Amino acid sequence: MNLVQAFKMAFKSIAMKKTRSFLTMLGIIIGVASVVVMVSVVAGQNKKNMEWMEAMGNNVVDVYAWSSTGQDMDAILNEYVSALDKKLVVGISPVINLWSEMIVRYGGKTYSTQNYDDWKDRIQVVLGNESYGLCNDYELAEGRELSFLDIEKENNVCVLGGALKEKLFNYTSPVGETVTINGLPYLVIGWYQAKNIEDDYSGMDNVLLLPYTVNRTLNKNQTISDWRIKCTSASATSEVTARVQSFLDGMFPKDEDGNQWDGYGYASTNNDWQQNEQERAKMQTLVMGGIAAISLLVGGIGIMNIMLVTVTERTREIGIRKAIGAERRSIIAQFLIEAAVICGIGGILGIIFGCMGSLIAGKFLLNGMILWPDQGIVMGAFLFSVVLGIIFGMYPAVKASGLQPVVALRAE
Amino acid sequence: MLIEIQDIYKIYNEGKESEVRALDGVSLAIDRGEFVAIVGQSGSGKSTMMNVLGCLDIPTYGTYLLDGTEVTDLSDRQLARIRNREIGFIFQGYNLIQELDALENVTLPLIYQGISVFEREDRAMEALERVGMADRAHHRPSEMSGGQQQRVAIARAIATHPPIIMADEPTGALDSKTGRHVLEILRQLNNEGSTIILITHDDGIAAQAHRRVRLTDGKIVSDERGKEAAAV
Repeated sequence: MNLVQAFKMAFKSIAMKKTRSFLTMLGIIIGVASVVVMVSVVAGQNKKNMEWMEAMGNNVVDVYAWSSTGQDMDAILNEYVSALDKKLVVGISPVINLWSEMIVRYGGKTYSTQNYDDWKDRIQVVLGNESYGLCNDYELAEGRELSFLDIEKENNVCVLGGALKEKLFNYTSPVGETVTINGLPYLVIGWYQAKNIEDDYSGMDNVLLLPYTVNRTLNKNQTISDWRIKCTSASATSEVTARVQSFLDGMFPKDEDGNQWDGYGYASTNNDWQQNEQERAKMQTLVMGGIAAISLLVGGIGIMNIMLVTVTERTREIGIRKAIGAERRSIIAQFLIEAAVICGIGGILGIIFGCMGSLIAGKFLLNGMILWPDQGIVMGAFLFSVVLGIIFGMYPAVKASGLQPVVALRAE
Repeated sequence: MLIEIQDIYKIYNEGKESEVRALDGVSLAIDRGEFVAIVGQSGSGKSTMMNVLGCLDIPTYGTYLLDGTEVTDLSDRQLARIRNREIGFIFQGYNLIQELDALENVTLPLIYQGISVFEREDRAMEALERVGMADRAHHRPSEMSGGQQQRVAIARAIATHPPIIMADEPTGALDSKTGRHVLEILRQLNNEGSTIILITHDDGIAAQAHRRVRLTDGKIVSDERGKEAAAV
């Protein structure tokens, strides 16, 4: 008996018992679909996290420092970072968020930093230097960044985030226009491409950047305590973090009791956190995939169960086939192919449902993200289901084929 | 000799209290072209006899030479080949596969022989024509009467042109008219050279054969030759 014939027989036998075949397939369909959906959702969630983290800034070191003796930390840190190897550092900028109420006005439109009714309309006024855009991964859409001269001369200029630009100016160019902040005029010199992060509660696109030297008027000359350093690579980030930290530790020595009397400073990077996040994502994929795999396994056991029942039910048929000359391997092939075909069809249907489920899950759980399952996962789930069918089909097939024809014929 | 069995025993639960000797030291030789009836009451061991002769069952002791080959030494695969090519079975309960139609049932042994699609369809149709069932080729067993099913079963047995045909109570479930028809087909096959081994409890049917081997309690009690003029 050749393989084509065996496949024909398997299909025939499946078609003969539609309900039973479908119920058997159901286990595999649900198993495969849940693997595909779970893994896709986790992958989609992780992708979203990574995008967010990338928008937040890659390879950056956040520094916090405070000197009790009134040293100019900004000048000290700038000097220290400028002296570092250019292969390590791209730039440093102070980061000052103005939390007091700021009203930005252009034409008839006003936006406030203290709009707590709708975070989408809440704006952020930040102070930085010419490297601020670079340090925060902003991309200039039009105009120019803050310049060294703007900082030096305390020019009343500003750069807008993409969303804020759209709110104030719609689609017209803001460059050269003047907005007012708490009544004081500022010239718009450029605007940043929107990052378009979903659920951007931190308001990265609602930013209004001013030269930090205008601090004196707007921020009541508050001391600068936060900086952000942009580094060239992940390894450079680790190195700069360590160096800045030891520099700060040297500046603010501890006494025997561990107290720092002159001030304190910390350097940290979210690269570590990103790595942890990736590790966690991997674990999550494994755990969810594992749970889904268990449901697939249960489906496989269902197949074995049904194959056992099938074999018992069809013992007489096996006896007849053996009596008229079926070899043992023909019987095994028949049952194996039957199981593999059931699992294969179930696997394909499972993939179809899984893809649909992923799209639906992406739409409702991940804010309309188009979630297309990874090809590797799809192939893996399919192969797994077929292999399950072969493994679980094997036992009853071997059992059935080993019967003496006379024993099988006696069965009713 | 085509079939030669020597001191065949088939013992169930050997050595236990419930020991049953279905065949108790049977020796028999059947020549090519014979029409042999194996007669006996139920429980006499005649069905076990057919199972052993038909390589459906393995005897506990004894030797079985089929066309000079020692059958008890053969592998499962070789036995399957013998059942496929050397022997055609006709069972009391027809033993057709319910999910397959008449033609597919008859084709089955040819499939296991590995014969090409076109040839086996032709040969299966030829066998069905032989038993007058060609017009029912695409009917399922459940759509046929007992006599029709038995004729399909005969077609299946002869489709491979086996030298030996074994029939276990082939008329047992049939009325006397269809029974006569089935016996007529067997006789024709015998006239064309097939060796027929017929298992029956009915002396009237056994009388159709050229030789009658009578079994009681697993032992051969008589072996008569010559055609009896008994009525069917």
